[in-house]
Amino acid sequence: MTLKELYKEIEGDYDDVMSRLPSDSLIKKFVIKFLDDKSFELLQSSLEGKNLETAFRAAHTLKGVCQNLSFTKLYKSSETLTNFLRPGQIQEEDVIQNQFAVVKQDYSKTASAIKEFAQDD
Amino acid sequence: MSLHRSLITVVNLEGIGVSENKIEKILIVDDSEMNRAMLTAILDKRYEILEAENGEAALVALKEHGVDISLVLLDIVMPKMDGFEVLAVMNETHIIEKIPVIMISAENGTSHIKRAYDLGVSDYISRPFDAEVVQKRVNNTLMLYAKQKRLVEMVTDQIYEKQKSNSILVNILSHVVEFRNGESGMHILHVNTLTHLLLKLICKKTDKYKLSEAEIDLISMASSLHDIGKIAIPDNILNKPGRLTKEEFEVMKTHSAIGYSLIEEVPYNKDEPLLKISSEICRWHHERYDGRGYPDGLKGDEIPIYAQVVSLADVYDALTSERVYKSAYSHEKAIEMILNGECGAFNPILLECLKESGDLIREELKVKSFREFDKGEIVRITDEMLKVDLANDDDSTVMLLHRGKDIV
Repeated sequence: MTLKELYKEIEGDYDDVMSRLPSDSLIKKFVIKFLDDKSFELLQSSLEGKNLETAFRAAHTLKGVCQNLSFTKLYKSSETLTNFLRPGQIQEEDVIQNQFAVVKQDYSKTASAIKEFAQDD
Repeated sequence: MSLHRSLITVVNLEGIGVSENKIEKILIVDDSEMNRAMLTAILDKRYEILEAENGEAALVALKEHGVDISLVLLDIVMPKMDGFEVLAVMNETHIIEKIPVIMISAENGTSHIKRAYDLGVSDYISRPFDAEVVQKRVNNTLMLYAKQKRLVEMVTDQIYEKQKSNSILVNILSHVVEFRNGESGMHILHVNTLTHLLLKLICKKTDKYKLSEAEIDLISMASSLHDIGKIAIPDNILNKPGRLTKEEFEVMKTHSAIGYSLIEEVPYNKDEPLLKISSEICRWHHERYDGRGYPDGLKGDEIPIYAQVVSLADVYDALTSERVYKSAYSHEKAIEMILNGECGAFNPILLECLKESGDLIREELKVKSFREFDKGEIVRITDEMLKVDLANDDDSTVMLLHRGKDIV
């Protein structure tokens, strides 16, 4: 799988990331490094533990990382969740849970595609 | 005026760019390891990168490395302490004036961006960032700050040189007077040191007499000339061993008005603050707070605060020094006599400062050389000037003079 194909698979914006970051190899490096990023796990565990403050930060970080890598689909779902968790504007629990389910699905899809890509590489 | 000149010189100098050899340190503050790694990868080749994973760690790094850090890249949303809190601390400690901060955040609402600028950031980069734009903005900010820093250093050096040469000339002049008096040479040094100390204390105690660091320096320098009028007192009176007769004392008393006229009649630089202040110190350093002094019988704050301070310093040093007609009193005895009103009447605030100064006076007077203008002091003077954005150094002194003006 090429990098371009990966971006297509995960519904990211390959042209956008290429225009912002200096080289293909650097993008590859960080795409693979995304698997080490702990913000999704932190998001999941803090939501389970009802720690909404930490959940907000984790969602916020996940959103920022996805935005920088142009993982558009995951970026959008995590952005929505971030806004639901934003201090002062916290939504009802089922709204949060439903949005987390979307993020989880997008994350799993993105992570498994990257794992596959990393093996090919 | 001379600062004007120095600035022009500075601007004309070439080579005020960033030093080529030194690798600059950049502190990246972001809770996401991924984000830090990405910024590091973008900047790595040209800079030394330090990382902090939250606001607290950033403050630790700032404390440890200080101004060795040339720039901070700061995220907003972080655990423990967020970016805005870091900026608040950097403002409190004024370190934001020395180390530029670029905020990098996915928070793109204008309220966040405005708040960041209000807290003194140099630039705001939104996520997702473009690698080249980050490099350019970092580089531009560093260049600007390096130039600014270099300019401030040059201005500081110029002020230092100006102060130094001024004080050398004043020292020579005042030494001439002391030499003729047959005094030890320590009196003027002591009055200078005490004046500086008391003015500092009084400014700390009350904001009634707002004096800048530069003004305090100028007054201390001017204090050295307080007895210059003695140059016109006949030798047989000035150096008479033993007490003066009533008539002789009347002659002696003219030294304050004579000193004033001597300086007042200097045909050049009439508007120089040093001349104004030193002439007034000459004239009024024997006035008393209760109005029973000479030559004008001024009362209370009709006497400019700088003349009041020199007067007290003069009395303290006279008490603690040996004279032909008396031996030296101890520090404690001298303070006691002054506080009891045995040696004149003084401003109660000034007496409180004297009382609270404790061992400071003795310690400062132990240093038996003229107060060197230490670098820290000059740096503070420069900072002060840059803050009030003075194009020349006259304005603040004009204000100072106005405070003493209404009584002339």
